[in-house]
Amino acid sequence: MSGGALLALAVALAAAGEGASAETGAGAKPPSRIVSINPSLTAMLLALGAGDALVGVDDYSARQNPELAELPRVGGLHDTSLEAIVALAPDLVVLVPSLEQRDVRERLAELGIAQLALDPTSFDDVLGAIEALGRRAGREDAARTRVAAIRRAREERQRESAGRPRLRGVLVLTRDPLYVVGGGSFIDEMLAIVGVENLGRTLDGSYPRASLEWLVAARPELVLDAGGDAAAARAFWSRWPSLPAVRDGRVVAIPEGVATLPGPWLDRGLETLAQAIASPPTYRRQPTLGDDEP
Amino acid sequence: MKVLTARRVAAVLATLSLLLAAALLLGLASGPSGLDASEVARALAGGGASDAAADIVLRIRLPRVVLAALVGAALAVAGVLFQALLRNPLADPYILGVSGGAALGGILVLAGGSALGLSYAAVPFAAFAGSLVTLALLYTVGGRGSRLDPTTLLLTGVVFNAFASAAIVFAASLAGLVEGARIFLWLIGNLSALRGDVTAAVAAFLLVGLACAIPLARGLNLLVLGEESAAQLGVDVRRLRRVILVGTSLMVGAAVAAAGLVGFVGLIVPHVLRLALGPDHRLLVPASALAGAAFLVLCDTAARTLLPGRELPVGAITALAGGPLFLVLLRRQRARIFAP
Amino acid sequence: MSAARGSLLFTDVALRFGPHEVLRGVTLDLAPGEVLGLVGRNGAGKTTLIRVATRVLRPERGSVELAGRPLEAWPRRELARAVAVVPQQILVPFPFTVAEVVLMGRAPHQPLLGFDSPADVAIAARALDRLGIAHLADRSVLGLSGGERQLALVARALVQEADLLLLDEPTAFLDLEHRLAVLELVRERSREGKSALVVSHDLALAARFCDRIAILAQGRVLAAGPPRDVLDPPRLREAFGIEADVLLAPDGAPIVVPHRTAR
Repeated sequence: MSGGALLALAVALAAAGEGASAETGAGAKPPSRIVSINPSLTAMLLALGAGDALVGVDDYSARQNPELAELPRVGGLHDTSLEAIVALAPDLVVLVPSLEQRDVRERLAELGIAQLALDPTSFDDVLGAIEALGRRAGREDAARTRVAAIRRAREERQRESAGRPRLRGVLVLTRDPLYVVGGGSFIDEMLAIVGVENLGRTLDGSYPRASLEWLVAARPELVLDAGGDAAAARAFWSRWPSLPAVRDGRVVAIPEGVATLPGPWLDRGLETLAQAIASPPTYRRQPTLGDDEP
Repeated sequence: MKVLTARRVAAVLATLSLLLAAALLLGLASGPSGLDASEVARALAGGGASDAAADIVLRIRLPRVVLAALVGAALAVAGVLFQALLRNPLADPYILGVSGGAALGGILVLAGGSALGLSYAAVPFAAFAGSLVTLALLYTVGGRGSRLDPTTLLLTGVVFNAFASAAIVFAASLAGLVEGARIFLWLIGNLSALRGDVTAAVAAFLLVGLACAIPLARGLNLLVLGEESAAQLGVDVRRLRRVILVGTSLMVGAAVAAAGLVGFVGLIVPHVLRLALGPDHRLLVPASALAGAAFLVLCDTAARTLLPGRELPVGAITALAGGPLFLVLLRRQRARIFAP
Repeated sequence: MSAARGSLLFTDVALRFGPHEVLRGVTLDLAPGEVLGLVGRNGAGKTTLIRVATRVLRPERGSVELAGRPLEAWPRRELARAVAVVPQQILVPFPFTVAEVVLMGRAPHQPLLGFDSPADVAIAARALDRLGIAHLADRSVLGLSGGERQLALVARALVQEADLLLLDEPTAFLDLEHRLAVLELVRERSREGKSALVVSHDLALAARFCDRIAILAQGRVLAAGPPRDVLDPPRLREAFGIEADVLLAPDGAPIVVPHRTAR
C-alpha cells in the first residue's frame, strides 16, 4: 500500500475509534446502515456490491446513480445536514475529509457515530480507498478483484505508451470559465499513464483556472474536453484554429465523470483516455491563411 | 475669475485620451503568455506574427481590453450621474439597486438556467432584463414617474439591493460547483467572457448614456443647487431626472450584464476627477468616461498579470485599489467641508 | 404689454399642505417697478407665496398672473428670464466656486450646450462687484459664511436680469452694511422699472425701502398699502402677536418698537 492509503487508513481508524459500536478490521460485523456523503465513495460502495447497505446519500451521489433515486438525501457538499444523517441511524458514515464537511465530522465524532474518512486524491489513494471500503463493508474479495483489474489496466497502458512520443495536451473541465486539470491529482497521473504530457502542470493547483491566453500560447496537440454540450463545444473550439489540437482535429469529448470522479472504475477511465488519444485525427491539414473551416 | 472654457475641456480630454491610449497599449502588450513587444506590434499591424500570437493579441487581448474600456467608461459616467441625481458625492452606480436586479437576473440563469433550458449564453440578456425590471420597480415605488425624489429612490434601492443579495445567496447555495464558481466570478466582477454581441451592447448603451448626459450637463450643474432653484432657473427637473435615471440604468445594466458587479469604479473615478478638475459636469462627464475606461483597463491588465499563469477577477483589483483610496478620499472630503 | 413687465397679480390664491391650509385666498398685486414688502409671522405663508409665484407649487384655487399673462402660460425658460429668486438658503454638496454659482444665473439666457460667453462673464463680474464679493469669486461655496453665501445668491439672481425679483429673507445673515447695500440695490432696480417682492422679518428696513407693505396673517392679506398706513399697533397685535409702538423717523418712515408679546 502506498503512503497515502496508509495515512487514509490511519485517519479512518482514528476517526472510527470513538464510536460505541466502532468496528475495525476484518472479522467484525459489516455495517448494514451506511450513509455516504461523497459521490466517489458511493460509487465505490456500489461497485463493491455493498449498495444494499446504503440508507442515505448526498445529492451528487443520487444524481449520478439513478438507482439511488429512492434513497433519502442528506444534502450537498456544502450544506450537509447533520440532522438528516443522524435521523437515519447509520452505523457507518463514509466521507472525504474536506473543509466544507469538517463541522459534520466533528459533530459525528461527538455523537459517537462511526465514520470512515478516505481521501482519494492520487491514483494510489483511490486504490487504497477501494481496499479500505472493501474491508470495512465486508467486501474484501470484491475490492481485491477490482483493484487488481485497475492495476492491470495501468500496467498495460504504461507499456503501450512507453514506446510512443508523449502528446502535449490539456484536459478541460469547463470551457467558460476555463478550468483545466493541473498537477497532482489522480486524473493527472492517468494522463501521464496514457502518454499525455499534461500542460496544465505549469499552473498552480490540482484544478486551476486558466486564461484563454495561456491555452493559446501553450499550443496543445490534444484537447480532452469534459465540459459537455457538444454543440457549444464545437462552436467554442472552432474559434481557435491556431491551436494544433484544433487544426489537426485532436479535440475529443470525454465524459465528465472520468476526470472528476476518483472512483472504482479507473480502468475504464484509462480505456476512455487511451481511445481518445489513439483515435486518428479527423483531418490533417497544413495551416494556410484564408482557409475556411469545413 | 476662473471659468470653464472650451479650451480647458479640450486640453483635459486630450490628456485623458492619451492616458487611455497608453493604457490600451499596455493592456495589449501584457499577459501571461509573455509575448514581447515586437510580436505584439506585428500582430497588431496584421502580418508576420505567428498564428498563436495573432490569436492572443487580436482575438483574446484586444476584445478584452475594449470591453474593459467600455465597462469602465459606463460605470464611471453612471457614477457621476447618480452622484448628481442624488446630490451626494459618495453615491455609486449600484446604489439604486439596478445592479442588484441585473445581478439577480444573471445569477438566476447561472444557477438554474440548465433546468429551464437556458444556456450560459443567455446570462447577459437575463441580467439586462433584470436591470430593466428594477428600473420599472423604482419608477412604480419611487413615485409614479412624476416625483422620483432622491430619498425615496435611495430607500427603494437599498431595500431592493438587500433583497437581491439574499436571493443571490440563496441561488448560489443551491448551485453546483461549476455554477458556484461562475456566480462567484460574477459577484466580484470579471471580464473574461469574450462575446462580441455583449461588447457591442455595452458600447451602444454607453453611447446612449453619454448622449443623454452631455447635453444635460449644464442642467446637472443647476441641479446641484437644489431642485427648486434649478426649476426656477428654467430646468425641467422632472424630465432631467427621468432621462438621467433611464440613461444610467441602461448603462449600468449593460455593464453588469457584461462583467458582473465590478466595484469602486463608479465611486472612485468621478470622485477623484471632481477633486482634480472641479465639479462642473460639462467637463466631469466626458472626463469620467475616459478616465473610467483607462482605470478599468489598467486594473484588468493587473488582474491578468499579477500572479503568473493565474487570472484574477478584475473586481478583486478594483476593490484592492479602490477600497483604501476611497477611505483616503473620505477623510479628505470631511476635512474640506468642515474647514474654516 | 411692456408696461406690465414685472407686474404680478395673485387672485384669491389658496393652497393647503395636507390638512393644513396655508393660503386661504390671497389677493395681492405688484405693479411694475414697485418694491413690495411681504411681512408676517413664521408660518404665515410668505415663502409659500413665493413658491407659487415661481410655479414650484400649484394653488388649488385662484390664479397668478405675471406681466398680465397667466403663470401657466409662460414657457419654462421665458419664465426664468422674467422672474429671479433669492432663496433663503441653499445647500450645495459639491465644491462649486462662487463665480460658478453666480454664472448659473445666466442659464436661462444660454443655449443648452456651450460655455459662458464673455458677456456672461462680464455680467457676473459686475454683479459680484456690486455686492462687494468680487474677492470671493474663486472660493468654494462650501467654505463661505452664511452671509457671504447669501450675497452670492443675490448676485446670482441679479445676473438673471429678470424684471421681477423675489427675495426671501435676503438679509437674514447679513451685517447692517450689507443689509442696506442689498436693499439699496433693490431700490436702484426699481428706478429702472424692475419690481421686487421682499419677504422680511426686519420691519424697520422693510418700512424704509418698500413702496408698499403687505401683511400676511392666517393665510390672507391682512392689509396692503404704504408702510405708514399699514403698520399700526392694532394690526401688529393681530398679525404678530406683539404689543408695540410705532414711531416716525425724521424722514417719515415708521419705526416699530416692540415691547412684549400680546398674550
